[in-house]
Amino acid sequence: MKDLDRKLKAYRISSGEYDRIQTLLGRPPRGIEWALFSALWSEHCSYKSSRVHLKNLFNKSPRVLMSFGENAGVVDLGRGEKVAFKMESHNHPSFIEPYEGAATGVGGILRDIFTMGAKPIALANYLCFGEPTAPRMASLVDGVVRGIGGYGNCVGVPTITGQTEFHESYNKNILVNAFALGLFREGEPILSAKAQGVGNLVVYVGAKTGKDGVHGASMASEAFDDDNSAKKPTIQKGDPFYEKLLIESCLEVMREKLVVAVQDMGAAGLTSSSFEMAARGEVGFNIHLDRVPLRDSSMTPEEILLSESQERMLLIVEPKNLAKLKTVFARWDLDAEAIGEVTKGPEVELFWQTESLCRLDPKVLVDEAPRYERPFYVWKNKNRVEESDVKKAVTPDIKKILTVMGDVRGNGRSWVFSQYDQRVGAKTAHDCRDSVGILRLPDTGRGLGMTLGCRPYLMRFDAKVGAIDSIAYPALELAAKGIETMAATDCLNYGNPEQPEIMSEFVATIEGMSAQCEALGAPIISGNVSFYNETMGENITSTPTTGLVGVCDSVEHLPKSHFVNKNSEVYLLSNVQMQISGLWSEVARSPTVGHGDIDVKSHARFVELTRKLVSEIRLEATRVVGKFGLGYALARMCEGRLGFAVDTAALRSSGIQSSDFFVEKLYQAILVVNSDHALKLRERFNELAGGAQAPIKLERLGTVVEDKFSLGDNLDCKVSEIQSAYQTSWEVLIAGLS
Amino acid sequence: MIGVVRFLGTNCDQDVFEAVHQVGLKPKWVWHQDHFDRKDFDALIIPGGFSYGDYLRCGALAARSPVMQSVSEAAKAGVPVLGICNGFQILCEAQLLPGALLKNNTLRFKDDWVDLKIVNSNARFGGAGLKKAHLPIAHGEGRYYLEQDQVKQLFDDEQVWCVYEKNPNGSLENIAGVMNDKHNVAALMPHPERAMAEFMGGEDGRRFFESLLT
Repeated sequence: MKDLDRKLKAYRISSGEYDRIQTLLGRPPRGIEWALFSALWSEHCSYKSSRVHLKNLFNKSPRVLMSFGENAGVVDLGRGEKVAFKMESHNHPSFIEPYEGAATGVGGILRDIFTMGAKPIALANYLCFGEPTAPRMASLVDGVVRGIGGYGNCVGVPTITGQTEFHESYNKNILVNAFALGLFREGEPILSAKAQGVGNLVVYVGAKTGKDGVHGASMASEAFDDDNSAKKPTIQKGDPFYEKLLIESCLEVMREKLVVAVQDMGAAGLTSSSFEMAARGEVGFNIHLDRVPLRDSSMTPEEILLSESQERMLLIVEPKNLAKLKTVFARWDLDAEAIGEVTKGPEVELFWQTESLCRLDPKVLVDEAPRYERPFYVWKNKNRVEESDVKKAVTPDIKKILTVMGDVRGNGRSWVFSQYDQRVGAKTAHDCRDSVGILRLPDTGRGLGMTLGCRPYLMRFDAKVGAIDSIAYPALELAAKGIETMAATDCLNYGNPEQPEIMSEFVATIEGMSAQCEALGAPIISGNVSFYNETMGENITSTPTTGLVGVCDSVEHLPKSHFVNKNSEVYLLSNVQMQISGLWSEVARSPTVGHGDIDVKSHARFVELTRKLVSEIRLEATRVVGKFGLGYALARMCEGRLGFAVDTAALRSSGIQSSDFFVEKLYQAILVVNSDHALKLRERFNELAGGAQAPIKLERLGTVVEDKFSLGDNLDCKVSEIQSAYQTSWEVLIAGLS
Repeated sequence: MIGVVRFLGTNCDQDVFEAVHQVGLKPKWVWHQDHFDRKDFDALIIPGGFSYGDYLRCGALAARSPVMQSVSEAAKAGVPVLGICNGFQILCEAQLLPGALLKNNTLRFKDDWVDLKIVNSNARFGGAGLKKAHLPIAHGEGRYYLEQDQVKQLFDDEQVWCVYEKNPNGSLENIAGVMNDKHNVAALMPHPERAMAEFMGGEDGRRFFESLLT
């Protein structure tokens, strides 16, 4: 019995799961089967704690062409253009080995995209670090950013947007979420991971298999303990040069229709790719492990199966096309090896030379993986501190704005994004400096916008509100550039799902995100769940990262995110449903207070009104008001010598007081317009708002001026003070960074 | 016909191809294993990117690939050759241009926009009247270096093509681009193909392609 316990622990299989395996097989697992169940029944591969809830995500829309179950979702943008996109976490590997962890995170998400047949054209990343003073944090920040740049720059895909957060809950468990998007031009095929055609060949392409990353998937499904260095050998090492060759060659064979189905070898390597492909296609495979190209000839069959060596793909190919396929790959200096064939099934049988190592129905491993209905409670705002008069919790003071601008939480992110190539591909219209990344689509000249969402401090205040906001806020950011949200992806980073508090936040998140997506008509087309972001009993802030993608008609005259011309007029467009003390309270280490709730339908109407206004009226700049409220948002729009001065008379008539520049209000957007177009803006707003939705307002705030920044009531400073605070070097803010 | 050379790992190849096309010239691919006749092309471009993943040294492996023999012959015969970013590194490694490109002084990759001052304008490379240009950079190893005793010669021989107004990488004498002694091989670190239209942030890059056939 002791032996069994040891084995269960080694393979991270619970005794309940062991019983289930016995029932399904009619006998105990043997030999290599242990490793297969360990990998495919891991949280990472099976989504066993989340699957029952994920089916509630809003994903219905006629424009969705591919959704969950494939490597990435695909959405039809109309006019012959389609995009595939997805977001994925690489948190655990990045904490152990930041450079390789982050780099292979980028590599993995890119493979998910071109596996669909789409050419990757954009990357983005969402990073959560701990306090700058936490142990190893400087080297984690440095390594992660270098890793993302090292991979993305080399492979030649621009990073055009991102978000970076800092909070103590990530001190021992940072988050590295990578987003990638690929484009299908008219007539280009969408590939599937569904194996088909008895007698077709199973072809292995790409890097040779080594011992790196063996057991990676089950490692990532476990909480951290003190001894993380022992987990280093489970980290993979990436090679972006190889990936670049794979992208070019795979897209070539796909477009020449030499491939029936394709799957990248990600988590749990050859195991998951082969069994999942077979299960999806309801066919069997014969796989000859001795034919797998190896970097290390001493590898055991189990290691070959579980290796997470990067830059490898599994293709299903008709025998008549093998020679042609090999010619294409040879041109790119890559080997393609037939390692097996598709059978009637239902079993997948693994061979080592003539010896059969195992014969299993893939459905047992994939479809029959356990599903847990982890306990949770109906959402109640346990952490929320109600305060109907939020103004009481904030003290207006211009120095506070300057202080947070010189703090990692409010400081500029150019240290991060200047290390990323933002323009390779020659499509970039708005780069990481803007609040939204925008590319010009080559065939129609339309703008393709993308931005990431989730504000962890809102999740800490009220997870349901935070979840709605993770869709509502980025959708408004897109609308403020004239972009209509078409679809979304998510990457749900949570702590231990066996704790009801965590599971409740997870369930509330799905509900909140889904409700806002449905109201906007924007389906969630792909996603990833990362549980067990927990170290020695401490969970991270539940962080449902999102990526929203949309289109606009043209990239000419897009509004900037900063002031452009002196004397232009500054307006505030608002639909305020909630007020909170927000990030100010966290900086002051006092509880966040607030009141109100977000009506997702009202917000969706506001988003649509904003988009219409922005696309019809020529605006110079727009910015959605977010963390630290209106005053901070205006300060961030200062550019060069250009600053801002309030119009005291206008404020008096609209009743805006100095505290209104500090309270965080959900939602507001700043619109900057040349005075020639101001009248048209007001008129069009009146038509669109039509008097019906009372809380939607457009108010004049002030004017773009030179050198001065003034919010009235002695809330004044020089633009140069803002610039020097906002541009404080990260080498100063994060000791140990050089 | 403008030849656009592709190595394994080159990643600005399609952007350059498209830029050549946009200014009304005819681009044609040249593969790293090809040999060609110098009469086939009016000019050649070696685009940026990470040829061979920057293994060994940036540009070192590409400089030794078969196609570079043809490029070298064409250069010696007077065919204009333009190198961009990694193309600059390759031309230095192939000894078609003087000097070397070292790691940026910050030891980090840098993506930014720079202002260039043209020191010695050239009809084929940017046009005779070109005085300045606003272009993007994106490189980790763009710090131009030359032995101290050769620097004066480089300036005297009018081989310094362009310099940065504000040095982004620690480059010697702010050098951003150089030419060979015959002024038919030129290269720069910034990316003109990424400044072809207003939406990109400027169109100063067009001149660098338009001028190739003058």
